[in-house]
Amino acid sequence: MAHPDIGEGIDRVDARVKVSGRAAYPTDHDCPGLAHAVLVQSTVGAGRITAVDSSAAKAAPGVLAVITHENAPELHEARDRKATLPPPPLQSDRIVHHGQTVAVVVAETFEQATEGALLVRTEYAPATPVVDIDDPQAEHVHDPFGSDDGTGDVAAALAAAPVRIEQTYRTAVNTNHPMGPFATVASWDGDELTVHDCTQGPSRTRADLAATLKAPQDTIRVLAPYLGGGFGSGLRTWPHTVLAAVAARHVGRPVKLVLTRKQMFTSVGHRPDTVQRIGLGATRDGRITAIDHEARQTLSMCDVNTEMVSRVSLSGYASPHLSARDVQVRVNVPSPGSMRAPGDGQGNFALECALDELAHDLGMDPLELRLRNYAGEHPVTGQQWSSNDLRECYRVGAEKFGWSRRVPEPRSMRRGRTLVGYGMAGTSFFFYQPPCSARITIGRDGHAVVGSAGMDLGTGTYTVMAQLAAELLALPLRRVRMVMGDSSLPQAPSAGGSGLTGSMGSAIHAASRNLIRSFLDLVRDDSGSPLHGAGEGDVRVQDGRIVRKDGGGGESYEAVLTRHRREELTAEGSAEAPAEDRPVVPTGPYAAKFAEVHVDPDLGVIRVARLVTAAHCGRILNEKTARSQLIGGTVGGIGMALLEETVTEPRTGRIANGTLGDYLVAVNADIPDLDVHFVGGPDPTNPNGTKGCGELGIPGTPAAIANAVFHATGTRVRRLPLTIEDLL
Amino acid sequence: MRSFAYVRATTVDHAVAEVTADPDATYLAGGTTQVDLMKDEVFRPGRLVDITRLPLRDVTSDNGTLVVGALTTMEELAAHEVVAGRLPLVRQALLLGASPQLRHMATLGGNLLQRTRCRYFRDPGVACNKREPGAGCSAVDGFNRMHAVLGTSPACIATHASDVAVALLAVGASVRVRGQDGERVVPLTEFYRVPGSTPHVENVLAHGELITHLEIPLLPPGARSGYLKVRDRASYEFALASVAAALVIDDGRIRAAHLALGGVGTVPWHVPRAEELLRDAAPDAEVFSAAAEAALSGAVAQSGNGFKIELGRRAVVRMLSTLAEES
Amino acid sequence: MDGSAPQARVSPGPQARPVVRVPVVLRVNGTEHRIEVDTRTTLLDALRDSLKLTGTKKGCDQGQCGACTVHVDGKRVLSCLTLAASADGRAVRTIEGLEQNGTPHPLQESFVKHDGLQCGYCTSGQIMSAVALIEEGRAGSDDDIREFMSGNLCRCGAYPNIVAAIREVAGRGDDA
Repeated sequence: MAHPDIGEGIDRVDARVKVSGRAAYPTDHDCPGLAHAVLVQSTVGAGRITAVDSSAAKAAPGVLAVITHENAPELHEARDRKATLPPPPLQSDRIVHHGQTVAVVVAETFEQATEGALLVRTEYAPATPVVDIDDPQAEHVHDPFGSDDGTGDVAAALAAAPVRIEQTYRTAVNTNHPMGPFATVASWDGDELTVHDCTQGPSRTRADLAATLKAPQDTIRVLAPYLGGGFGSGLRTWPHTVLAAVAARHVGRPVKLVLTRKQMFTSVGHRPDTVQRIGLGATRDGRITAIDHEARQTLSMCDVNTEMVSRVSLSGYASPHLSARDVQVRVNVPSPGSMRAPGDGQGNFALECALDELAHDLGMDPLELRLRNYAGEHPVTGQQWSSNDLRECYRVGAEKFGWSRRVPEPRSMRRGRTLVGYGMAGTSFFFYQPPCSARITIGRDGHAVVGSAGMDLGTGTYTVMAQLAAELLALPLRRVRMVMGDSSLPQAPSAGGSGLTGSMGSAIHAASRNLIRSFLDLVRDDSGSPLHGAGEGDVRVQDGRIVRKDGGGGESYEAVLTRHRREELTAEGSAEAPAEDRPVVPTGPYAAKFAEVHVDPDLGVIRVARLVTAAHCGRILNEKTARSQLIGGTVGGIGMALLEETVTEPRTGRIANGTLGDYLVAVNADIPDLDVHFVGGPDPTNPNGTKGCGELGIPGTPAAIANAVFHATGTRVRRLPLTIEDLL
Repeated sequence: MRSFAYVRATTVDHAVAEVTADPDATYLAGGTTQVDLMKDEVFRPGRLVDITRLPLRDVTSDNGTLVVGALTTMEELAAHEVVAGRLPLVRQALLLGASPQLRHMATLGGNLLQRTRCRYFRDPGVACNKREPGAGCSAVDGFNRMHAVLGTSPACIATHASDVAVALLAVGASVRVRGQDGERVVPLTEFYRVPGSTPHVENVLAHGELITHLEIPLLPPGARSGYLKVRDRASYEFALASVAAALVIDDGRIRAAHLALGGVGTVPWHVPRAEELLRDAAPDAEVFSAAAEAALSGAVAQSGNGFKIELGRRAVVRMLSTLAEES
Repeated sequence: MDGSAPQARVSPGPQARPVVRVPVVLRVNGTEHRIEVDTRTTLLDALRDSLKLTGTKKGCDQGQCGACTVHVDGKRVLSCLTLAASADGRAVRTIEGLEQNGTPHPLQESFVKHDGLQCGYCTSGQIMSAVALIEEGRAGSDDDIREFMSGNLCRCGAYPNIVAAIREVAGRGDDA
């Protein structure tokens, strides 16, 4: 029976504290004796520091310390080169990108630290930076993730195909830009370090800090109960977090370090740019026979980053011949990182635009082409999908959008002088469910406290996990309190890869079962309990009670605890990642996107008029917050399609548009009503039936818009973002 | 930001005396340019003279001219009934600029004096002739998609960012300026200086001179006017190209024409030649196209902003034809 | 590097200047605070660091995001570009001043109901801007709400829900 607190319109449980301004983000944290740190960053894109003069800064009023590579303590590289810890800061005079941190200034006040940072004089022996993805001098790393794969003979199949599309698509560097500038407040108590940090993974940040500071993990506590957005920026432990801890130890006081907005371009990752070559072969009746996808992306000089771009082509369509390959190109840019739908966001754009081009060449409806090539099983491995309702997404999306009203010929639909275009794209997002732990305590007051180190970056994790615990324990939602975002709680993965709902949900599922078992253990020999002697399989939960399935009665958690003079009972639970090498492959979410764009034929101005998404996200725990995830991702996708581009100057490596007035993210006026429909059923891989939906809003959105722009104008733009000059 | 002394001016004369006497002093009004550029280390005044409490906020209509106190905010002027009724292009330009919050802060005097959004001007880490005469221009070889195509020089291609200045220029507005030696009135057509070899000199004001009022001639009843702003983002962005225009059409002929462009010039760009072409012509596509050609005449493209020339022309045609189609 | 490329410059002026502090009276949410501030201190930093009113957020610190929106003398403004010294004696209203006797402002309720927030970081600014928008009479259509809320960036992308929340409080129900 459905729990009353699952499903539709549950308000997010942290909404009230947020609308009142009382939610304490890392940057809001204050403590006695707090000093302020400000970073100094390099003004050359490559080379060496030849001299640092910090005398004026040190003499400035209020300045407590200036830390540079000359006096910084030794920090340690992560041993695992796939780690989330970029190379540690201030360890040498080498400059590998413009905006690299070269000093940190600590002062009594923010104003004094800021002025102190301006007074640090750094001299460089600059080298010529390599910044362009097409630079022939740049080093190429082939198959960097060991994920290149395929089946059949793509080259032969392409050569033999009656219809071929061979095109190159480009996507720009995008910068995450959560609204909250990343901040760290670090304080030491002896050898114990407490860090309030903008992180999407308190457990991971703790492990990374322990590695780089060579300190035992249990001496470090990382807190992130609230985060002003992350979109992937919080998935790595960046130099400023390490430096806040270093600075706090150096001055013997708690230190707050807040990145400036300009530093947010250079210090917390970005979505790397890509150049993607797609080859599609098909029969004249629209059967795809070959998909060849090679994706190049940029990577910084001394770092690793996992961003699988071409893999979308391995699972997207039923083609007998497939090849997908990634290449990373080393350039002098800041360390990249994940940005909402890493890899898939860029890869889907290329694949879905190529599909649209193929449909146009075939004279076939783009939706029909996709249906005709639906992959009923994994095209490379032949595994069955754990669940895949993509066809239902297409059907519902097309119906809600009114796709049948589309006149096929480009430039044939108008409203007044405005050109109208309809475009669509399909997408999946990969499956990801790393191991996780959680703890549940039920007290004599009948309230449950659910704890896990995992955090809520605005996605609604607090809310849906509380709902889930309420359901699993048959408690009303108001009697469940979540405690999250604290590394001292049971370990959890980072909030990323649309994986945390599945991971933490599975852990809470396990913990709740363990907790019920603990209650049964408590009353095993308790003749006063109707539950005595019952095994786990003999009971279920209902209305705040554990009851016998055989109708032999039951009792509430409080009643058991009271009679046994226990204040509370606690249980932990863990969940492992599901195995993937079996006949059924666990699958992530799916969606179909339908966009209507309006284009001014004279001025080239593009506006998205409406966008319909039909998504298969497994069981929806909370339609309100899930819908917000899809809407939010779509807004990011619209920005990626039409606005966002971080421009790096070829000669200097300097970011040329490093403000929010120059790097454009979508504003309210850019966003029409966004229609979201959930379709399909629960996924059997997960005990709660869920799939993630945090990233699904991005992939498919740029392609649907670009395809709609082609339909509106007849001009095919193969580069993101699409801008006015493309259409003049 | 560097430390500075703060003085609150009590009268206009006090303000002018304070700033004139100190080469390191400057005025603080709405702060939207001043404070921003102080944070960026582009401005490093030793003394800020806060003029926000001076009585320069009245808007009066007098004999066909609107006299606007220079501390009137953009939102206040946009809400004024005479502006709404007789100067629609000014109202539109005001409301298409910045954001509501910034418009509640930014004053008209400050708006006219706002500094370019050129990222090279705003970054002390790179060379800029406007910020540091003789240092060189990084924008010429840099990322210059947003930069000017008109009024440029090898020393500077920075765009003047104001919207309302374009509309005010089009209708022939002037500024009243108070200096230590008295008051003068400067038409906007003579107020701004193209960069030439001295891009740090942006206008005719001497150090310490203060804009106290704007004088805006009202359009005749029956005039059609508007402001068209083309940009990537639907709101809260500076113009790639903009057009302020007013036409008086009577008996199938254009009897009066006002035209100025924004987003494409190093200064708000007035086009008297285009106004001449339009005057006494029939309002048709041919003359609009000729006016557009004239408006962008002499435009010079950089590596990243060539599209602005065609975009500017098309924007002129669109603005003029929209006005002509109005009933 | 190419010889004609603009040379990178070291940091400007060599020496620090002495700190200048001025007394100000900040009237925030009806309470008078007499404090001394560095002349450089913005209203935003004074609210957050001196008065510990951290509901107002710093998003960009340069007037390009709206997270720091507060009301000064009844108008919505950006506290990051307002000097505290210049706000002396003005009436300042922040997110902490919206509740009346423990009852949230209708827009706070409406943001909860319509999920007009995700991470919540821009939310104070959004709500302060929305309160002003309704007072300015600019909630007459969804397009007006969108345009006149465009000074408040939301990177989580809650815009459609923000529009719905404002529409409801503006008394237009669900007529789009």
